Amino acid sequence: MGFIDFLGDNLVQFWEYTGFANCTFPHVAMILVGLFFIYLAIKKNFEPMLLVPIGFGILIGNIPFKIDAGLEIGIYEEGSVLNTLYQGVSAGWYPPLVFLGIGAMTDFSSLIANPKLMLVGAAAQFGIFGAYMVALAIGFTPDQAAAIGIIGGADGPTAIFLSSKLAPNLMGAIAVSAYSYMALVPVIQPPIMRLFTTKKERLIRMKPARAVSQNEKIMFPIVGLLLTCFLVPSGLPLLGMLFFGNLLRESGVTSRLAKTASGPMCDIVTILLGMTVGASTQASEFLTPSTLGIFALGFMAFIIASASGVLFVKIFNLVLPKSKKINPLIGNAGVSAVPMSARISNNVGLEYDSTNYLLMHAMGPNVAGVIGSAVAAGVLLGFLS
Amino acid sequence: MNKKILGVFLLAVITVSSAWAQGRKGLRINEVLVTNEENFQDDYGCQSAWIEIFNTTFGSVDVRSCYLTNDKNNPRKYPIPKGDVLTEIPPRQHLLFWADDMPNRGTFHVNFKLDPEKDNWIGLYDANGRDLIDSVTVPAGIPADHSYARVEDGVGQWVIKGDKGSGYVTPSTNNVTLDKNEKIEMFETHDPFGVGMSVLAMLIVFTGLLLLYLLFRGIGQISVLVKKRNAMRVHGISDKDEAREKGLGRESGEIYAAIAMALYQHLEVHDVEDTILTINKVKKAYSPWNSKIYSLREVPNKK
Repeated sequence: MGFIDFLGDNLVQFWEYTGFANCTFPHVAMILVGLFFIYLAIKKNFEPMLLVPIGFGILIGNIPFKIDAGLEIGIYEEGSVLNTLYQGVSAGWYPPLVFLGIGAMTDFSSLIANPKLMLVGAAAQFGIFGAYMVALAIGFTPDQAAAIGIIGGADGPTAIFLSSKLAPNLMGAIAVSAYSYMALVPVIQPPIMRLFTTKKERLIRMKPARAVSQNEKIMFPIVGLLLTCFLVPSGLPLLGMLFFGNLLRESGVTSRLAKTASGPMCDIVTILLGMTVGASTQASEFLTPSTLGIFALGFMAFIIASASGVLFVKIFNLVLPKSKKINPLIGNAGVSAVPMSARISNNVGLEYDSTNYLLMHAMGPNVAGVIGSAVAAGVLLGFLS
Repeated sequence: MNKKILGVFLLAVITVSSAWAQGRKGLRINEVLVTNEENFQDDYGCQSAWIEIFNTTFGSVDVRSCYLTNDKNNPRKYPIPKGDVLTEIPPRQHLLFWADDMPNRGTFHVNFKLDPEKDNWIGLYDANGRDLIDSVTVPAGIPADHSYARVEDGVGQWVIKGDKGSGYVTPSTNNVTLDKNEKIEMFETHDPFGVGMSVLAMLIVFTGLLLLYLLFRGIGQISVLVKKRNAMRVHGISDKDEAREKGLGRESGEIYAAIAMALYQHLEVHDVEDTILTINKVKKAYSPWNSKIYSLREVPNKK
């Protein structure tokens, strides 16, 4: 073999290892999806904290490479850096850490001041089970259907946690679907809210919530944990961390820990979670017919969840005295996309009465939705795992 | 102070030691084969009696320093050696010991044999040699290559296995092989449309949040009552109706926000400033990783 042949062979071998040589249509399709997510995040400001890491993760996960070369670079190749980072998703420990941060940054005052709003948070979980039934009808197994249905809870960490336990092979599609719809809350929810409410209902003014004492705020995470976890122990990883984070915040003596949990730690986990979830959408694993089904079911779950929250408030109003009526525009906030869906309630409310601020009222069902979806996930896990 | 530290330390030690013990308490003698003619072979190609230990917990349990014995009067007959990584039993897994009286052949060869002619009592003791973790009496007269095993791993009745219909002899593997997820199949059979699951699950979700609602409704009422009583005392009101009319104890957060803002305006915001202007050089921590920091622009922040 001459020197030129030697160089030529090496160049050919190098070419075989490049992304250009290994690129297929699914890779290009997924890269376009990733770019679309990044576009939505930066230009449309749709949940940029989630969509930028996920979108860029999709790019990372879909760089074509020679899979059979054993380079240990792909997210599904044991020993690769991405695979190591992905352990937090596949073993399910990123979501509870995110919940710790959510607990540490959430003020449950509005819920404590008006605890009946918890029931609105419960009603919105109908979306999960509506999607569960449809998923069963189109041929998914009960465990897969449950993992898909949880998208309706509008809670990314919960969706990832449950799918990692019940349907690990669908986790990428479920996670991306859940986060995509959470980002699209401003687009999906307002038409549903308008469809199911009358103008008169949209103008309902709610009484300002009473001030909540610190003792009540401290008792909430403790009682909340004991009660919900005694009822559904399988929800412990999520609920335990959520309430723990909240106690750090409300105790008044662990502000440093609360700041770390709600700030740097939550940010680090969000970055890793978003990026690895995005990277897990490797075209070869992700682009399957069932992915399309999951996206369709997730969309449906979101619509059912939003509608059931609004409708439940309307029904609830039938038994409430006139002075305590609830504006049904806060019903959509029962899905736990915190605080996006509460902001939507506020924005839609302001469209009809520019002095009717619903944000704090909507935060009640919003945080109840977080608890509700974690309980629902615990129930599904208990029944099906 | 020292007493406090000592107390916390003791509590931690007790907690840790009880957790340790709890792990080992989950060990069970799971299957025993006394007469081995054509059954499982050890690494030396020999067929001897064997004892299977099962870890019933969902965490790894190390059996090192525990004792296996066939003599009630000598609980420390065979100390399971330290220093062998294989003595750690993964969650819901097994470990097999050869009862061949050949301890020089390795960790898993004990220093006693089982006698097929009489009942064999086998005990597994904790590392202190006193706490019996599990024991079983294997009846005499079990046919060759038949084992005495639990029906289900770690729990339940003991049966003789090896005949057709009674189940297979399963050294170092599950006594019951799960080839399907029964829960899932039950749901597929009895609830194909998911209605039952949906109703049940929503009922549980509603129950949980309803209980939380009721509890915090009560707590809220007590809190309002306490606030009202305090406010009545401050305002010098003794008539409850009057207090209710004035809404004492039910002030909204907005009132407190307004008061806080007024106080802030009064105490913190000045119409006349002290006109002292201090200009400090921007200091940024130096590190070899950011030595070009002065020449770099700030991270863009889209408003």
